[in-house]
Amino acid sequence: MAPLIPSQAELDRRLIVDINPETVSNIPSTDFPGHWPGESHEWSLDKFINSFKVDFHRNEQFESSFSLVGLDASIANAFRRILMAEVPTLAIEFVFVNNNTSVIQDEVLAQRLGLIPLKGSVEGINWMRWFKRPTEDDPESGSSPSDYNTIVLRLEIECTKNPNAAPGEQDPRKLYKNAHVYAKDIVYDPVGRQMDYFTGDNAIQPVNPEILIAKLRPGQKISMEMHCIKGIGADHAKFSPVCTASYRLLPDINIQRPIIGDDAKKFAKCFPRGVIALEPVTAEEAAKKGSGYEGHDGEMKAVVRDAFNDTVSRECLRHEEFQGKVKLGRVRDHFIFNIESSGQFDSDFLFLESVKVLKLKCARWKRGLTDLMR
Amino acid sequence: MSREAYQVPSLGGGNAFSADGGATSTEGGPAVAYLCGECNARVSLKRGDQIRCKECGHRVLYKERTKRMVQFEAR
Amino acid sequence: MPSSVHSQDQDQSMIDAVPSEQQEQQEDVLELEDKRIVIQLPGATETAASFQFEGEGHTLGNALRYAIMKNPQVEFCGYTIPHPSETKMNLRIQTYDTTNAVEVLEKGLDTLMDLCDVVTDKFTTARDAFNASEADKMSS
Repeated sequence: MAPLIPSQAELDRRLIVDINPETVSNIPSTDFPGHWPGESHEWSLDKFINSFKVDFHRNEQFESSFSLVGLDASIANAFRRILMAEVPTLAIEFVFVNNNTSVIQDEVLAQRLGLIPLKGSVEGINWMRWFKRPTEDDPESGSSPSDYNTIVLRLEIECTKNPNAAPGEQDPRKLYKNAHVYAKDIVYDPVGRQMDYFTGDNAIQPVNPEILIAKLRPGQKISMEMHCIKGIGADHAKFSPVCTASYRLLPDINIQRPIIGDDAKKFAKCFPRGVIALEPVTAEEAAKKGSGYEGHDGEMKAVVRDAFNDTVSRECLRHEEFQGKVKLGRVRDHFIFNIESSGQFDSDFLFLESVKVLKLKCARWKRGLTDLMR
Repeated sequence: MSREAYQVPSLGGGNAFSADGGATSTEGGPAVAYLCGECNARVSLKRGDQIRCKECGHRVLYKERTKRMVQFEAR
Repeated sequence: MPSSVHSQDQDQSMIDAVPSEQQEQQEDVLELEDKRIVIQLPGATETAASFQFEGEGHTLGNALRYAIMKNPQVEFCGYTIPHPSETKMNLRIQTYDTTNAVEVLEKGLDTLMDLCDVVTDKFTTARDAFNASEADKMSS
């Protein structure tokens, strides 16, 4: 069969996931060999290199937003899932309580400590190895804590009365010393080769020093040692390197028949500000027969200015006057990612890590496959 | 078990109650340290002692926390 | 007492001594080789086979399914997670006579790895360009 080349209109149709008043349609991707008779759709690296595009919208240390264009949803979703659950980070895992006479119970305190995001030299964190937990069958099988798999933190704090407090003082933070225990009170205790990596600003420390851990009153004391290990979000959410990692598809608004005058104003109000603009109908358009603009020279018409910011609320589909005039959709292969880092790594670095993790997974399984064939 | 038959367990080292016990155990049983709920003073009481803080007279006393290290998982 | 364990043996602090090189290397090997063997499920023929991936889920399952379906020699490819509480993923591949299932699976993994390289490249370029243009905006 001779290769068939689909028309541009057909390609455009395939690219859009339709959003109807109550339903969605044209949902699954169809770019597979054998789906469209006479079309190839075979995987081609060159084609992918040419069609794939990255656009950055925002790149701050802890939040970045960018578009990946030309990917399939399965791949984009793999990156998103890896970002949340499989990029390793450091978190407190074992808490050794020597003394805790505060009102907060040991186990509750331990759980709170685990959730504190920690930062430190990225190089050092990459240098660190996994700490293997013992299995249920063999309690001896776990690794022993060493400088390359465990970070030791300590919290030694006691609340005392403040002799210099003003008489009649009501604020416990002034009345007592150490009435509030913050994340900044945790001290890092470097061991062995850790001193080469985690020094000065690169030392292991909480990302947010002002996290309240516990409240104390005079005579109460907390003394504990904490061991941090590397882990992944799939094991426990405290290991997740992101606050959120999400994507949405680029919205597509297609005005098919003119929307003019007061209707145009109402139409613009159906969308977030800046999405729909009002422009005067030109004399040229008004002169054209069958365009729908005849006799409307100089009136305002609705045009799509920036579909990017649309929320696809479908509000415009509820109104009688816009029936059949507008089609909503989303671009199938345009993923607008938004990554919020929890502070251990920079957000753009995290995405690169997720790609690395996916590649590593493939490489590992490929090695396992050679065992199968042997 | 009758109340009189009950003996405060006095094991070897590492017992939380034996901090200042042992030596005083010759008469009236071993002393157990408590903390006053009002003034946080240490009060050691023997069997038959009035349950009362010796500093402030408060009648609520707390047992001391274990001196052992306790391990938890931060989960 | 399930989550807290009174223990005297584990209360020693972290061992300060540098571990012997040998021990560390051993652990490295363990880490790489750990549970990464593809299991071929029974009932397979040359061109139609199911594979089991231990410790994988939708992340690799769907991505790999896409990569394998992009191969024109593949008649069918699908994945399933038979039970949500077992971290196992089964991948079914049926091919035409010109190839076999294992080869197709290997090619699918290669496709994914190539794709990852392109994404990394383009992402880095786009980010650097964006950072440079932002810096320009700041300075001008």
